Amino acid sequence: MRPATILAAAFLAAATLSPPALAQSPAQRVQVKGELVDTWCSVTGIMFAAGTAHHQCAVWCAVGGIPISIKTADGAYYMVLRIADDDHSVARKPFVKIQTHEVSVDGELIERDGVKYLFVSEVLDDAGIVDLTHEQNPISPFGE
Amino acid sequence: MKHFVIPAVFAVLAAIPGARAADEWGIDNEKAAQFSAKVVDVACALKGDCPENCGGGTRQLGLLTADGKLRVAVKGNTDFAGAVHDLLPYCGRTIEVDGLLIENPAITLYMAQRVREAPDKPWVKTTAFARDWEAAHGKPKQWFREDPLVKEVIAEDGVLGIKGLEPPKSK
Repeated sequence: MRPATILAAAFLAAATLSPPALAQSPAQRVQVKGELVDTWCSVTGIMFAAGTAHHQCAVWCAVGGIPISIKTADGAYYMVLRIADDDHSVARKPFVKIQTHEVSVDGELIERDGVKYLFVSEVLDDAGIVDLTHEQNPISPFGE
Repeated sequence: MKHFVIPAVFAVLAAIPGARAADEWGIDNEKAAQFSAKVVDVACALKGDCPENCGGGTRQLGLLTADGKLRVAVKGNTDFAGAVHDLLPYCGRTIEVDGLLIENPAITLYMAQRVREAPDKPWVKTTAFARDWEAAHGKPKQWFREDPLVKEVIAEDGVLGIKGLEPPKSK
């Protein structure tokens, strides 16, 4: 068998036998700063969804089990699946209470299929709510 | 005659399993997406950290397709609620879902609007959160204003999230 044939056969075997490639990044240590948002309202733009004017709705959605994310100043979203030892991210008071806060966190980032998933190891700083949007906007939604 | 034909067509379409596509919301980058997928605990799929029964409702759930795509199901059909209650009964099983795939450049999300166990089974609207909430607390006018945890957090921090800060009085 000629070397070129052997090489071609090897490539074919590798392509056939390899499992489908996962679009998952290796976990990497990151520090992220931004506002904790209700992922659905913030991403979809179905309503005004930032700061104090939207805080109540963000609480509703977190209690409803919609994932929370950290939205950074450049518009990236990091979906939070764990904070320290707490990986119960659905409708849990520690996750609900910090909605709308501006936080800096250290954690593990895994990217897959268009989502940045964040496993927070430590909240480095919690500045509370700093985006006072109610000064220019009605309570969103419903005005109350 | 046409007054009878149009409703009849709608009635026939409604009776055919799978005939109705997902409801569009007009969200940027949305598209109707019906597919088969295994219901998974997202953290388990990412890190191999896998409690029993996908975490029993404590963790975010996703949909893992046969070609390895993981879609996080962030929203169901109850106002202000996700899809965990709808998907948890199918943890580890392959089902069909119908809804909206939102491929925002910043993040990809899936809204599950209805689910079914198999192509020959009826679609079920994703309103399990409302059903379970009512079973636990009674029939609400608006669950999100009556929920005990919501009331507790709003009582502690206020509507604006800052203790002592009140929204401006409407004129």
